[in-house]
Parts: sequence; structure tokens; C-alpha cells
Amino acid sequence: MRVILSHIIFVLSLGFSVQLLATEDKFHFDKPQKTALFLDLTKELRCPKCQNQNIADSDAMIAVDLKRKVHELVKKDFTKQQVIDFMKQRYGDFVYYQPPVNPMTIWLWLLPILFVVAALASIAISRKRQSPEINDEQLAKAEAILEHEE
Amino acid sequence: MKKITIYLLPLVAFLAVLGFLYKGLFSDPRDHQSSLLEQPMPEFVLPDLMNIQQTYSQDIFLGKVTLLNVWGVWCITCAIELPYLNQLREEGKHIIGLYYDQDIDPDFGIKTVERVQQEVTDKLNQLGNPYAFNIFDVKRNLSLDLGVTGAPETYLIDQQGKIRLHHIGDINPRVWNKKFAPVYDLLVLQ
Repeated sequence: MRVILSHIIFVLSLGFSVQLLATEDKFHFDKPQKTALFLDLTKELRCPKCQNQNIADSDAMIAVDLKRKVHELVKKDFTKQQVIDFMKQRYGDFVYYQPPVNPMTIWLWLLPILFVVAALASIAISRKRQSPEINDEQLAKAEAILEHEE
Repeated sequence: MKKITIYLLPLVAFLAVLGFLYKGLFSDPRDHQSSLLEQPMPEFVLPDLMNIQQTYSQDIFLGKVTLLNVWGVWCITCAIELPYLNQLREEGKHIIGLYYDQDIDPDFGIKTVERVQQEVTDKLNQLGNPYAFNIFDVKRNLSLDLGVTGAPETYLIDQQGKIRLHHIGDINPRVWNKKFAPVYDLLVLQ
């Protein structure tokens, strides 16, 4: 068990260090926090050309250019939000994977909630309808039958 | 009566999903509103492609309705679009090229300007030249400020230097008549 665990840790750390090396290869930062911010941002910004990839994964020219821009901005001490705003201003909300809440997108959050509420309500209603109504008179009758059988 | 409504419910839900997905078949995921519409052209200082000494700024768009066409010789769709752009120029439209080179990697070496100029001259000699002149977006910074995702893309810019339309993809008679002509004709009248 311990051997397996150490193997897993070894492999994981290998992957991590390779990733770090790869970024440091091309994009240098003087502080590790900035490297982390850069990695964060390139994972969360979406490539406008190849729409199902973030700019970290994409090799499209536009993605490379955006990475270069992020690098430049992070170096200039832009905060995460400032970089995101910079990109949104040029490429629209589309460029960031977290959609903004507005009248159009609110349904992304509302629909699942409405669905759950509707499902719960329908379950409650059907439960209520199914449960047979028992009154004292029926109970007494049933007990009489049982006694009779004994 | 109540039973029928309950049995109809899945059918209604199915039809709603069907309609939604059917509509999705014909929607272009690349077709999203540019966030730069109604905004003035971003500031820039960039050289002329054919004469590097000469530089342009955003002021060149003042006073004229302009089509800014983003292109490159490496872009196949651009070559298909060029003959139609030539036709537009013959009709008197003012077209400026925003040229960028794919092979120029700002982080590593740079292709010589002479080679880029030679490639462009060859291409335009072959297919005709619709451009009044070409702005050379050396490091693709203006493209980034304009929200360019690739080539070809075309911007319609009004006399005040404001962006009125942003089209991703080639311009052909259908796109022109449907998307550009109404806005363009209105702008020219002003």
C-alpha cells in the first residue's frame, strides 16, 4: 500500500514539475505567486478560435498571443480581475469560462433549482394521493376480522 | 381529462427540447457579439506594410467610411475573399488591410520584412489589390485590441472612427447584402 502510494506521489510530482518547467521555459516571472496566477489565468481563459480549449492547452496562434498578453499584464502587476476585464473588453464574456449572471444566463442557475422543486412537489403530491385514507371505523372492522380468524 | 394532461407532459417536454436542439443545429458558435461595437478604434501606431518608414494611427479612419480587412497571405479563405473585395473597391468602397504574419513569433526570431513584402506583392499581383494600403500589425497587438480571432475578419468603421460592425469569416455577396449593406448605405448617407 505504502509503495503504491509513494509511486503515485512520485508520478504526480513528476507531472507537476514538468508543467512548471514548461511554463518557465517560455514565460518567466520573478515571483512564484505570479507564476501561479499566470497558470490560473491561462486555465480559465477560453481560446476564442478553438472554443473548447483554454488558452493553456491550445496551440492556436491567437491562444499563444493571449498567453503572451497575460504574461505581459501579470508582469505589470495586474490583478487577476484586471486581466480578466482586459480580455473581456476585447473578446467579450465569451473569453472567460465563468459566465456572468445576467437576465439571459440566470436560467443556468434557476432551471436546476426549479427542476428540483418541481420534482419534489410532484413526489409529494403523488405520495399524498396514493396513501389510502384510514379511519377508525375501518380499523375497528379490520381488527374484528383478525380476531374472528384467530 | 387530468390523466391526458399528465401523459401529454413528456411529449410537450420532448417537443420543447427538440425545438431547442433544432435551433442549435443552425447557430454558429463563433457568431457572438463583438464587445467593441460602437467603440472608437483602439489607439495604435503601426507602420505601412510596404513602406515601413510611414506610420499610421487611429486618426486615419476619421472622415471616411472604411472597411478594415484583417488578412494574411497564409490564409486560404482570404485568397477566396480577395476577388470580391476587389469588386467592392471598384464600387468605390474604401478598404484598408490589417496585415499580420503567422510566422512572426514575437518571442523568437523575426522573418525579414522584405520577405513578407515580397509574399504580399506576389499574392496581390496574382489576385488583384483591393487595399488603399496595408497596416502592418507587426506583433499582432492591434489585432488583440480589436478582438481578432483569426483571419479573415472585417470591421466596418464610420466617419467618426467608431466600429460599427465586426464580421468573422469571409465577405461574400450574401454576407455583404445581408449584414454590411444596410449599415454601410446608412453611414454613407450621413
